[in-house]
Parts: sequence; C-alpha cells; structure tokens
Amino acid sequence: MNSLAFATISQLQDAINRKEVTVPEVVAYFSKRCAKYQDLGALLELFDAESIMKASNGHGALYGVPGVIKDNICQKGRITSCASKILANYHAPYDATATARLKEQGALLLGRANCDEFAMGSSGETSAYFKTKNPWDTSRVPGGSSSGSIAAVAAGLAQWSLGSETGGSVRQPAAFCNLVGLKPTYGLISRYGLIAYASSLDQIGIATRTVYDNALVLSAIAGHDRHDSSSLKVQPKDYTASLNFKLKDGLCIGVVENALHAEGMDSEVVAAIEDGIKILEQLGAKIKRIKLPAMDYSAAVYFIVSRAEAASNLARFDGVRYGMRAKDAQTLSEMYFKTRHDGFGPEVKSRIMVGNYVLSVGHADAYYNNAKMVQQLMRKEFVEAFAHVDLMLMPTHPAPAFKFGAFGDNPLQMDLQDYFTCAANLTGVPALNIPCGFSSNNLPIGFQFVGPDLSEDLLFQTAFAFEQTTQLFTKRPHGYDD
Amino acid sequence: MAKISREEVLKIAQMSHIELKEHEIDPLVKQLDAVLSYAACVQEIAAQVEIASNKAVNVWREDQVIPTDPEPILAQAPEVQEHYFVVPRILESNQ
Repeated sequence: MNSLAFATISQLQDAINRKEVTVPEVVAYFSKRCAKYQDLGALLELFDAESIMKASNGHGALYGVPGVIKDNICQKGRITSCASKILANYHAPYDATATARLKEQGALLLGRANCDEFAMGSSGETSAYFKTKNPWDTSRVPGGSSSGSIAAVAAGLAQWSLGSETGGSVRQPAAFCNLVGLKPTYGLISRYGLIAYASSLDQIGIATRTVYDNALVLSAIAGHDRHDSSSLKVQPKDYTASLNFKLKDGLCIGVVENALHAEGMDSEVVAAIEDGIKILEQLGAKIKRIKLPAMDYSAAVYFIVSRAEAASNLARFDGVRYGMRAKDAQTLSEMYFKTRHDGFGPEVKSRIMVGNYVLSVGHADAYYNNAKMVQQLMRKEFVEAFAHVDLMLMPTHPAPAFKFGAFGDNPLQMDLQDYFTCAANLTGVPALNIPCGFSSNNLPIGFQFVGPDLSEDLLFQTAFAFEQTTQLFTKRPHGYDD
Repeated sequence: MAKISREEVLKIAQMSHIELKEHEIDPLVKQLDAVLSYAACVQEIAAQVEIASNKAVNVWREDQVIPTDPEPILAQAPEVQEHYFVVPRILESNQ
C-alpha cells in the first residue's frame, strides 16, 4: 500500500483493477495521509470517508482517484468559503460543473484545498484561516493563490487537484512545487460554480505530478456547459490521445527573450530554462528567439483589469443573503460597512478599493480604459506571434519559492509575482507549467509553454515528451513517506 | 500621475462599502499609491494603440421558469422571515 502516495493515476487505477486495493481502502489511505500531514496546511477541511464515497457516484475515467478542490469551487453541501471569514458558514447549494463532471467519472473528492482569500495572492499567505507550506521546504511558500491544491498534490496527499487561475494562480505554485499546472483556454472549462474574482480572466486550472494525469483530468471536465454563457462551444475530447513521446514534426517554439532576460530573473532559473531549451532542440524542436514588447505592460494591465472586475464581483458579499453578517449594526448601511470591514482580509479590501478607484469618474480613462486598449494590443501581439511559431516558451516565475513574509514591506513586489503568468490570462490563451530543474538548494524550477487558443493537446504533447526526457516527476520532497 | 490622497482613499472606501478604522488609512494610502503609480504606465503604451474596440458577443437564451426549492438558499441567510431576507432598518432613526 505504501507505493500509492506518489502513484500516477494509471498506476493507482491498475492497482484497483487488479484488486490489490479497494476504493474504500484508497479513501482510508489518503485520508490518513491528509490527517498525518495536516501541518502542511494544504486542506481547510478533510471530508469524512462516508461522505466522500457517497458523493462519488460514477465509474468512469477517474474512478477511485482521489483529489482536492480549491475552496472557491462549489461542492454541493460543503462549506465553500474562498478561504475567507465572510463565507465561513456558506454551504454550496450546488456542484460546480467541474465538480459534477468529476463525480460522474467516479473521482474521490477528499476535501477543500486552502488558498489565498478570494484567490487574491501569490503565496497562500492571505488565507483567513492559516497558511499553506511548501512541501519542498516548509519555511517557504508553495505559491498561490491555489496554494493548498498544489501543496496537497506535491506532498502525495492526492493525485490531482483543481485550482483556479486569474493571473497565474495554478502555474506559479505548480512551478514552486515541481508540478504540471494547466491554465486552459478561456472558456474551455466551465466557470459555473467557480466563485468569481475577475470574470473575464478566471478559469479553473488543474495540477498534477505528470502531464498524462493532467490531460486525463482535463478530458473529464472540459467542454461546453449551458450554465456558463462564456463557455466555448467545444465538445469534450480525449486530451491523452496526442501523447506519443515525440514532438510534433517541425515544431517551432518561440522563446520570449524579453521575458527570459527580464530584470530580476534568478540566474539559476535562467540557466535551468536554457538547459530545458537545449533538451527541446535535442528532441527536434526548432527554437526561435522572439520578443513580445506588450508583455512588459502585462502586470500593470492585469492589476487594473482584475481589480476592477473584483470590485464589481465582490460587491455581492454584504451580509444580506448568506455568509457572515456583522452584529449590532443599527442600520443597513452600518451593516454593509462593518460586515465588509470585518469579513474581508486586508488584501481583499485593498484590491476592491483599487478596483473602484480605476473605474471611478476622473480615473477610468487613465486606468481602466487604457488597460483594456493595452490588453487588446497584447492579444494582437500573441496572435501575430503564433503565425510564426507553434508554441511560445517563457519563465513561469522569476525565482524559486520565497520565504514566508519575504514581501511584507513591499506588497508591489508580491503582486509582481504574476508578471510572467498574467499575460496568458489577459489574452485568453492556454498555458502549461512544466518542471525543468532544481535550484542549488533543491527548490523546483519550472517554465511554461503558451499556445494559441484551444491548443491544449499540443501543449500536452510537447510537455509530455520533455517530461519523459527529464524524469523530474520522479523527484519527491523529503519527509512525505508513509 | 498624481499620488492618491487620504481623502480619495476615504471616498473610495465609502464607494466600496468598506469601513476603515483610523489606523488602517495611512498604510492603505501607501499601498494603493504604489500599485497605482506602477499601473499608470499603461497610459504610455495605450497612446500608441490603434485598435478598434472589440465588441463582445452576448450569448442569449429564452427565459425558462424551472421550479426550484428556495429552502437551501433561505437556510444560508443570517435572518429570514417567510421568504424575505431580514436586514437592519434602512433609515437612520432621526429621518
């Protein structure tokens, strides 16, 4: 049984099919691990075995495979709090479409993964409950906002997890923790049941230890959903079909030079990425060095657009219909102000205010309207780039996982952690973090492939060939054995 | 770009329906100022952009009345009376 913790989905399912282990035993085993490594702070809640078994009603592609779901994605009947006090007692009255599809495939939903409050953060430090630690070095952050989702999979507490992406919140922590992290094309995975932060950017993302596993989970949840009017009219398909251990014939990859050599890049990260580029060349890829000037503005555009939409989306949390309500308010107005002061953490409040500022009379033109123009310029640059290359390659993060409190005095530096990842969210294209090395102090390093709309199979195919060459998924953090 | 002032922060907090305690104001002014100063760089590049505005396409469907049980929704509310959400009074007592 002790080989299951870091088993791939296929290995686990083989064990179930050969009757070496039953599904209730899988639940018991992983529940025990989640409880044993509770100190990691990956889960806000571990569900009881009986309700886990009851919720999983199917017998499909993910039968018997345990995973965790970020606390901003609805699981019917479970608390869904977005790691916030303002929703501490909110029970989701319905399943998110992604949740429902996983249940139909027989996946085991073990619990709620911790995250930054309302998915606003890059470290996991803003959870209103407790912070999540990086299994590779528990004095460091796992990244965020999908901190718990990533830490759980990295520590062998689950085979897969769902997180969410608005500016990089699955890819950045995946890079910090040696995982494969997917941000799909905008609209590929339904947002129904994903509590909104920035509606034009949000997507559910997937974290796994291997590319094949990631493709398998995507196959289970992608595709049109009539409940989400922003979901693409795309049929579900098998994303594992393209994984053939090779690169596409004549694959051309554009390395984004102004990203790779941006100011502040850690030299070990750059070296690891350049080594990865050499491996891709050996596998037969043609490498072009390209520049995307608009990328230099992506963080600024992201700050403005995401916070503007957040201010609008979070206006609904007011203590009237659900969630926390401040006590002893004499008037409705007092109730609103106190509830939102007490219920939201400082980062959430700050972002709401920036959002309202950039939308307000006298500032909207300078900030919001300009940001939307630049966003379109970015989209145009990306589309033009893909006329000359099949995929782009760029860093996911400037440096390996940082220590807790590293940006205490400098919240702008924390925000800039999104610098490389947010461009894909702003332009709607898919992107995949793939491990590419380790630092001299044994911290994971990743880079990302970015593709044109709906190129997930090419992303997976390329990453799979790369992964099978580096075998980095076989490395494990110390201290998570049975 | 002008730095954000204390008065503007108070005005924005009012607009956001978020109470601010006295000790929270100055740190917030600093933080917002840093982010907004950085974000102001979009003005430089936006001046060069000549792209027609992108009209998003709405996805429409007919209204469908689907009988739904209100119970799970009402059960979440802090205070309820029949099918109403109960809140503190709207007007000040001297109005």
